[in-house]
Amino acid sequence: MANNRMMIKFFIASESIFFLMLILAYVNFHNSVTTGPTAKSSLDPYVTGIFSLFLLASSFTVWLAGKSLKNRNRSGLKLWLFATIVLGAVFIFGQAREWFGLFGRGITISSNVFGSTFFTLTGFHGFHVCVGLVMLSVLLGLTLAGDFKGPKSDAVECVSLYWHFVDGVWIVVFSVIYLWAFL
Amino acid sequence: MSSRIPIVPESTEPLPGLGENTGLLSWVASIDHKQIGIMYLIGTLIYFVIGGLEALMIRTQLAKPGSELLSPEMYNQLFTMHGTTMIFFVVMPFLIGVGVYLVPLMIGARDMAFPRLNALSFWLFAFGGVLLYYSFFTQSGAPDVGWFAYAPLSEKPFSLNNGPTYWALGLLVSGIGSLISGLNNVVTILTMRTPGMTMRRLPLFVWMMLVTSFLLVFVIPIITSAFVMLLLDRLLGATFFTPAFGGSAILWQHFFWGFGHPEVYILVLPAFGIVSEVIPVFSRKPIYGYEFVAGSTVAIGLLSLGVWAHHMFAVGLGNVANAYFSLASMLIAIPTGIKVLNWVSTMWGGRINFAVPMLFATAFIIEFVVGGLSGVAIASVPIDWVVTDSYFIVAHFHYTIFGGSLFAIFAGVYYWFPKFTGRMMSETLGKWHFWLTVVGFNMTFFIQHFLGVMGMPRRTYTYHDMPYWGSMNLISTIGAFIIALSVLVFIWNIIVSLRKGEPAGDNPWKAWTLEWATTSPPPVYNFKLVPPVRGRRPLWDLAHPDSPDEPDAKIVTEGPNG
Amino acid sequence: MEALAGLTYYTIAISVVILGIIVIAVAYIIIRFRKKSGEEGEPYQDFGSLKLEITWTLIPVAIVAVLFLLTCSTMRAVDPPSADREPDIIIIGHQWWWEIVYPESGVITANEVHLPAGRQLLARLESIDVIHDFWVPELGRKIDLVPGHPNYMWIVAGEPGVYLGACAEFCGAQHANMRIRVIAQTEEEFSEWLTRQARIPETPSTGIAAEGAKIFQEIACMNCHTIAGTPAAARVGPSLTYLATRDTIGAGVLTNTPDNIAKWLKNPAKYKPGSLMPNMKLTDEQVNAIVAYLEALDE
Repeated sequence: MANNRMMIKFFIASESIFFLMLILAYVNFHNSVTTGPTAKSSLDPYVTGIFSLFLLASSFTVWLAGKSLKNRNRSGLKLWLFATIVLGAVFIFGQAREWFGLFGRGITISSNVFGSTFFTLTGFHGFHVCVGLVMLSVLLGLTLAGDFKGPKSDAVECVSLYWHFVDGVWIVVFSVIYLWAFL
Repeated sequence: MSSRIPIVPESTEPLPGLGENTGLLSWVASIDHKQIGIMYLIGTLIYFVIGGLEALMIRTQLAKPGSELLSPEMYNQLFTMHGTTMIFFVVMPFLIGVGVYLVPLMIGARDMAFPRLNALSFWLFAFGGVLLYYSFFTQSGAPDVGWFAYAPLSEKPFSLNNGPTYWALGLLVSGIGSLISGLNNVVTILTMRTPGMTMRRLPLFVWMMLVTSFLLVFVIPIITSAFVMLLLDRLLGATFFTPAFGGSAILWQHFFWGFGHPEVYILVLPAFGIVSEVIPVFSRKPIYGYEFVAGSTVAIGLLSLGVWAHHMFAVGLGNVANAYFSLASMLIAIPTGIKVLNWVSTMWGGRINFAVPMLFATAFIIEFVVGGLSGVAIASVPIDWVVTDSYFIVAHFHYTIFGGSLFAIFAGVYYWFPKFTGRMMSETLGKWHFWLTVVGFNMTFFIQHFLGVMGMPRRTYTYHDMPYWGSMNLISTIGAFIIALSVLVFIWNIIVSLRKGEPAGDNPWKAWTLEWATTSPPPVYNFKLVPPVRGRRPLWDLAHPDSPDEPDAKIVTEGPNG
Repeated sequence: MEALAGLTYYTIAISVVILGIIVIAVAYIIIRFRKKSGEEGEPYQDFGSLKLEITWTLIPVAIVAVLFLLTCSTMRAVDPPSADREPDIIIIGHQWWWEIVYPESGVITANEVHLPAGRQLLARLESIDVIHDFWVPELGRKIDLVPGHPNYMWIVAGEPGVYLGACAEFCGAQHANMRIRVIAQTEEEFSEWLTRQARIPETPSTGIAAEGAKIFQEIACMNCHTIAGTPAAARVGPSLTYLATRDTIGAGVLTNTPDNIAKWLKNPAKYKPGSLMPNMKLTDEQVNAIVAYLEALDE
């Protein structure tokens, strides 16, 4: 059905606006931090950069999953869905590691505007990744149960689109938070 | 003729909905767009009465200077809740609800594209409102920081009670409902149209719902993010909008009005749509300049995204920004003016039946023009510097939202009530309702223009006895009670007509859009046969086979999307 | 102000003309095109006219263009740039009163702006807590007092006299009772007033007023209020140094008389519910002593 694919596209458009506002809030306060932690003083671009590569790679694997579906290659679909979930989970692990590292140094959402904007933006992104992981797991479970015989499936295509979106948001977030501070 | 009517393939199994079981469960569990639409309308009527009672208490307090009837805290809660209720729980859900009922019928579809999401939207709206109103029963009372909740007043240091938290949560929930509804409408209108129903033939109400729905999709996330930040500030100690801790009070205003101004058009565009359906039918003429009415809607929708800071001329953004927002706001007057002139031209040369829907639609034109002209005036920065935050603004936006949206809503209720229920509303009671509304409304609000220019600020629970202020406010209060009386008549009319109204038949107004081609009320599956659509007025073409709107149009059996 | 009046009259004129045209057209339609009994069939089906549409698009474009140009020129006339100089007055919004500072002389007062009539002063507007808005209708424009975002405004009163105003941005429970008086004086009167306000008063040493001074320093008054020349220097509440010279108390809720000060001291919330000044539970003697002290400061 064209309905589902159109729906997910408009939904993603709407979500983009949501993230745009969070990013604008971050940008608005980027130069106004006078005391307390800043991106430069508290973040590690290299470690987060490496974890980001896992998320980027997961976009590639979810594309391979879709390709397998098209070719009615069910073992490929299973493999690439599983790989996507693992890669996404590694990214989330990296995010959690970063957050708890910051908490350990006393940097929280209430520290200052950097804390507020940073945790809100990365938090909502992380939440979206988690939702994506749940949906991917459902897809994987259904595949293992014998669903998705190909060559087409709105469910797989919509989740895949959503996953690319979450990935794209991270590229922007990473650029705005990390690259802007350290380049 | 009949042999050429294409049969639209229908799923044979009826969706759960208006079945044999008509108990409460059949409503609660319904995913039928008509039942959901009706529930929206009932819900908004309840909130309308509540919001109206709040307004009456406000006006009673202001009837004389120095009144001590209400405490300042209570008054602030009342005006906050009145604004929030009327905008988010009356006008907006009414228009969404009437759209949910009518859009599938008008485009010849079986239901919305996503019936379950449709039900979700409704219940999010309903429970969002319950969550908001629950605050009245808590120790802290209802939110008391205005429907705009300007930071930092709405922040923890200045609002220690939970009112603003309930406010943000309630609106967050109902806002997500509206967003889902917007998505659902967009997909429904773009993919579910019956064969032959091209975009150029779409009923204008559907056009305006489409533009409104796009606005919902793109601006609800703006306010959702602002609500999230406000809640994080209040609950987790974030500092987005608290200047004392490095945040920005102005950022909240940008976010709020980035949503808030398009929201104004969300409140009024579907109302334009209602009027664009009613005026042609009762004038017995097609809408004048269809392309311009539809096109100007798109123009308004686009422009509305870039004018938010005209609410912030007094904030001190600098004269360059002010000039830009002033120009952009004034430009909106052009497509709006095009609409008004097209409505007037539609009536010109008609054979007009001034039944109640048409009375409200005609009054709408005048009242809305008053609100529109005062809107152009305050788009001019220096004038805004004088009158903003005064009663002039109260008058202005009541002329657009009450004189505009609500008058159109009343027109729509009288127009479609026969379709919704199978019975006509009483014309006599309707005329009483109409005249009481016109008198009460203008009496309440016109004088407030002058109060504002004379220096009476908004949102004050009391005022000093300045020359004329007392008597002018008293006139306004009397007007408000006349409005209250008119609402009683309206509700009485609904009750009486539901029981004893004349049977309506399929098409009592001899209208031309598809919803009138089925029974009143429509069956669960909407249409046995969808008439062929070969022009903008399918039922006109059926009734006047000799002079169809588009003589050269071919019959299409394949939908626009295959 | 003249530019503003011109813009206003022009806008009103255009609005009245447009409204008039629409009302007359609709009234004519109601009379002329109402369905009359005996009329059968449908009227002529008219779908529109491109020429008309273009006409009634272009005419509003022209009106908007003129209105916009007028807006820009008026905006410049009403709100000239502040020229990067120090302000003459600083107006600070508090919940729910106004603190007025004259930086050059160091005078701090409350709820009354004294001005030399006819002289244009540059005001800086700040807020200590939430957003307020300074509005004295007879003096023209209003402007917000935004925390963390100082604004500048030229303020001028042509003729000597008292101009009443109020806070115009909703700022909480007592937004309604946050009133301001602009008192325009002749140059001589103004400089006399300023000199007097700048003088440090003598603390009374005898009688009930001295008793009041003692009470003022002992109980919590000095946690919030200033009296020049004493240890009381807090700026949470209005400076009370020359309270006796002001017209009102409580930002306009009561006229300033010794009786009213006494009433206010006994229970501020009775006259201004929600006021941040607590009820200090003072005895009548304490109240009378404090009132005598505050009055004595102006002698």
